[in-house]
Amino acid sequence: MTADRAPALDLDQPLPRIAAGDQAAFAEWMRGAEPCIRDSLRSFAATVDVEAAVQETLLRVWQVAPRFVPDGRENGLLRLAIRIGRNFAISQLRRRRLEPALIEALEADAQAAEDSALAPARASDPLLRRRIAECLRRLPRQPGRALAARLDRGGFEPDETLAAGLRMRRNTFLQNITRARKLLAACLERHGVDLAMELG
Amino acid sequence: MSPPGRRETETLIEAATTAWRPRSPSGEIRAHPAWADLDVAGRLAAYEAARRLRRLEAARDPDGLSTTARAVLRRLGGA
Repeated sequence: MTADRAPALDLDQPLPRIAAGDQAAFAEWMRGAEPCIRDSLRSFAATVDVEAAVQETLLRVWQVAPRFVPDGRENGLLRLAIRIGRNFAISQLRRRRLEPALIEALEADAQAAEDSALAPARASDPLLRRRIAECLRRLPRQPGRALAARLDRGGFEPDETLAAGLRMRRNTFLQNITRARKLLAACLERHGVDLAMELG
Repeated sequence: MSPPGRRETETLIEAATTAWRPRSPSGEIRAHPAWADLDVAGRLAAYEAARRLRRLEAARDPDGLSTTARAVLRRLGGA
């Protein structure tokens, strides 16, 4: 199994197809770019909901991609995305009237972290995928059902809806997710998966 | 109002790790309500937990996509 970062990877390859409105090409780009955008926003994690910022950033990148002109350096669209994400986070802080000095400090931290965030993720490892599938199958029934619901529909439905579909109370559902995550991590470690390396 | 207890905080953190987010009337993605209820330590813990979860999701997905990317693709599809 391999680490999920590869500094040499240039995500700009599908750029012409993205600019032409090809969503599959954009998905290919997001596969590598999303972890980098998330990492680049780490300094805002105490003040901005980074998940919302990442999704808003990706949507804005899709909107501006047809007008994007590469500057010849690799990962041009990713560098633009990181700037869009940072500007979105700062706009959220300004809207909430945070101290300008605090906003400037967070912006400086984010800028300093930009280079280390610019290492796109590799495609997933088939062996790791198999191990995860095996460990998911071994989860006890209720934690397994809760985590499977989150993995399959977590981006589309609120937890209340997922929990209702499983006939669980929301808090029970969330407790099952916590338990499932811990059991899954323990199972992967037993199978020799270095979680710190594979999942950061 | 008293601060949330450990168990309540864990529940809030878990709730905030989902990729689902509410939207404003204009369609902008908003912060998760559970995230807004967390203190600084809880928000940092939620960030790290979500970061690991997205990597796990991407690692298990045949296309290498997390639930975040799937949510964005659905939005692009007009949902």
